[in-house]
Amino acid sequence: MASRTVAKDIITLRGSAAIVSEFFGYAANSILYNRGVYPEESFAKVKKYGLPMLLTQDEGVKSFIASLTAQLSEWLESGKLQRIVLVIMSKATNEVLERWNFSIETDGEVVEKGVSREKSDKEIMREIQAIMRQIASSITYLPCLDEPCVFDVLAYTDKDVAIPFTWIESDPKLIANPQMVKLHSFDTKIHKVDTLVSYKNDEWDEQ
Amino acid sequence: MILRTPPPKKQRSETRDPGSLLVASSDLPLVIYEDPPSAAPPPQPSSGEHLLCTYQCRQMVKSDFFDALSCAEKQVDDYQSRSKALEENFSKVEAERKQILDRFLDSEQELAAAKGREQALQEQLLKEVKLRNEMNLRLKADASKASAEEKASIFERKLSNLSESIEKEKKRLHNEIELLERDSKLSVSRKSADLERMECRAINAEEESGLLKEQLEDLKKQLTECMHQKSEVEKKLSSFTFQEASSTDSNILVKHLQEELRNYESEVREARKLRSSRENIELLKEKLSEEKGRRERAEGELSKLHEFQMSMKKLEDELSSWKLMIKEIPGVSCSEDIPVKFAALQKEVIDCMMKEGDANARLKQMEVALDAVQSGKHIAETEAAFAKEKAEESKSEVKRIEVMLSMITEERDKLRDLVNEFKRLKNDEAGDETVSGTLIQELESSLAKKESCIKGLESSLHEQKKVNTRQSEEIKLLNERLNNEARRIKSLERESDRLRSEISLLESKLGHGDYSSANTKVLRMVNTLAVDNEAKQTIEALQNELQKTKEKLQAVEELRSQSGNAGKLVDSYISGKVVQLKEQIATLEKREERYKTVFADRISVFRRACCELFGYKIVMDEHQRANGIPVTRFTLQSIYAQGDDEKLEFEYESGNTIILANDYTSQPEISHQVDIFIRKLNSIPAFTANLTVESFNRRTLS
Repeated sequence: MASRTVAKDIITLRGSAAIVSEFFGYAANSILYNRGVYPEESFAKVKKYGLPMLLTQDEGVKSFIASLTAQLSEWLESGKLQRIVLVIMSKATNEVLERWNFSIETDGEVVEKGVSREKSDKEIMREIQAIMRQIASSITYLPCLDEPCVFDVLAYTDKDVAIPFTWIESDPKLIANPQMVKLHSFDTKIHKVDTLVSYKNDEWDEQ
Repeated sequence: MILRTPPPKKQRSETRDPGSLLVASSDLPLVIYEDPPSAAPPPQPSSGEHLLCTYQCRQMVKSDFFDALSCAEKQVDDYQSRSKALEENFSKVEAERKQILDRFLDSEQELAAAKGREQALQEQLLKEVKLRNEMNLRLKADASKASAEEKASIFERKLSNLSESIEKEKKRLHNEIELLERDSKLSVSRKSADLERMECRAINAEEESGLLKEQLEDLKKQLTECMHQKSEVEKKLSSFTFQEASSTDSNILVKHLQEELRNYESEVREARKLRSSRENIELLKEKLSEEKGRRERAEGELSKLHEFQMSMKKLEDELSSWKLMIKEIPGVSCSEDIPVKFAALQKEVIDCMMKEGDANARLKQMEVALDAVQSGKHIAETEAAFAKEKAEESKSEVKRIEVMLSMITEERDKLRDLVNEFKRLKNDEAGDETVSGTLIQELESSLAKKESCIKGLESSLHEQKKVNTRQSEEIKLLNERLNNEARRIKSLERESDRLRSEISLLESKLGHGDYSSANTKVLRMVNTLAVDNEAKQTIEALQNELQKTKEKLQAVEELRSQSGNAGKLVDSYISGKVVQLKEQIATLEKREERYKTVFADRISVFRRACCELFGYKIVMDEHQRANGIPVTRFTLQSIYAQGDDEKLEFEYESGNTIILANDYTSQPEISHQVDIFIRKLNSIPAFTANLTVESFNRRTLS
């Protein structure tokens, strides 16, 4: 979490990176639950951001997300991470059905000089809460995923980033002619995260 | 104010006006009215005659004088009132002049401000010119970018077509390879089947040969026995011939034996012939099958030849078309240059995008400048309107002043005429008119002053007219410039709308997921969940292949060991494949061993954990039912069981678990629980848990 002095909400680079990576972990779990990628019974309820959040209990998925968020935190601290994309694909055909895009703008001065910023934790939590509510309500307009799906996470980094051992280069897994919905954003004054979901046009909508 | 030049004052000592006579008192001797000295001197009257005057004449003169005086007084009053009015007018005119002067100063200030604005507008015009140039540059850059994008899109389409065709060809080649592999597998299977047949035949032949050998040996044994018997009999016969006559029975025996021997020999010969014929038949059959196989292979290869020729022609045509396409692409001489060219095009696109970003930044600056220009335009418009209004007001005032001036000049002229008439009257009349003369002089002086003021006002009016004309001309110029700027602003607004739409398109592209490969790369984790599942699937597939190849290898090795001829018949292609398969088998076996050890470890851990957690040792077996359907059987033994007989058996098939009856479950207590928990409540976990608790209680109590 963000490093704080006794009575002031000072945000450091490390604290902001932890906030953003933690947010992504919870957001990924919420998306997997709400889009039905994994069965409901494999999720457990916890309290976070003032909301009841659902976390997967599948050990494989848990360890995957945990190692992912650790790497994302490292990249965020170095200011090399530009975007995180959670991709939902059809298990049978590997066709990309949805892309949950989290764009990240980093304050270069903080990375270079190591200065800190001030922002109320409550306000950051409120902003994240709004995004989580929007993710939960996205099922009202997103098309139904009737077939079994799998998910993957892509990280858009700077070109000079050293690729870790457990990561490889990949194609961006784009959707042709997608529909896009822009969600809220949150800002720690060091990292600004914009959320956008693009999805494949449903055949019924096209008609 | 009417300026009048008062007539020069006449000295009383020099001349005496007739009016002064009026002031004369009665004490003075009466003087008869005489003509003025300018007039012809009257004939000098006699001294007594001038004293002579009738009372009536005096009175008449007095009355005339008083009339004239009253008239003069009235005129003086009139002149005074007029002078007052003139003075009032003069004061008004002075006030107006001051106002006009103030307005003139204001207009001068406005002029200076307008000049300053003009300079600012000129500067803005220069900026706009610069902006125009930048816009032209940006348009050129956009045009070049559009052309580069078009070229890049064309090249991309061509590349995509090329890649699609390459992929199609790859697929075709893969399919052909698969077909070939299948054919080879089929041929291998056929050969193996033939080999098996051969084996069977060889086995049968061996068995037959063994049987025949046994028969032969039996026959040989019989023969030897017969020969022994024959020799014995002959010996006996020879011994018997010496002694006495031979019996016919022994001869018959001998004959019989000889016949039997011959029969046996014939049979042996037939058996040998049969055996040789069979061997020949088998050889012929083998040769037949070989020839058939060769014929089939040749026919298959012929058909494949045709297909290969067709595909070769198609490939050649496509290659030529690719070469032509490569020739069309400028800067590309071979297929290896295509990625380089593509990279160069991508760089160009990236540069264009960079330029576009710069253009966007300039656009924003232009928008800011636009806003400033618009605000300046508004201010200039309002000021121009204000200046127009002021000019119109000043014009109207000038007109008013001119009208006033004309009126005043008319009055002045009238007054002058009156004054001249009055002067004439004064010269004609005698009498005391000093007061009116001074007044008239004063009036004349005031008139003169007013005339000078009027002249000054006229001059200022002229100047103001000139200023107004200049201002109107400047206002016209400003209006023209304003119109031009308005047009420029509209064109800039249109361009800004277009650029905003382009920006929204680019933002949508960014949202879509596009990125610049010069600055960004896309990474994903390797150890994903799908990869694990895929690895498991590949492991299973490899294990199946391993088993099949092992079986084939064993068959081939047996055949080779049994018949060298069969080994010669195997193609070099199959032998090479066998070597490859052996290597694959070795690696797969190693992998299998590793997986087995890992799996064994994990499964043992899992079993132990299940046993400790649920209290049952679980043994899993595969059984086959009477109808041949494979079924998984689970045998559970509680850790609290008091004997080995206390076992539960379950059958699991496609998601359904059924409890099997055995000695333990047929006990009344257990069967009762089975009825309640499994048959009525349909819950096996509840049954096992209840059983565990009961057995635990029994154990602890015991």
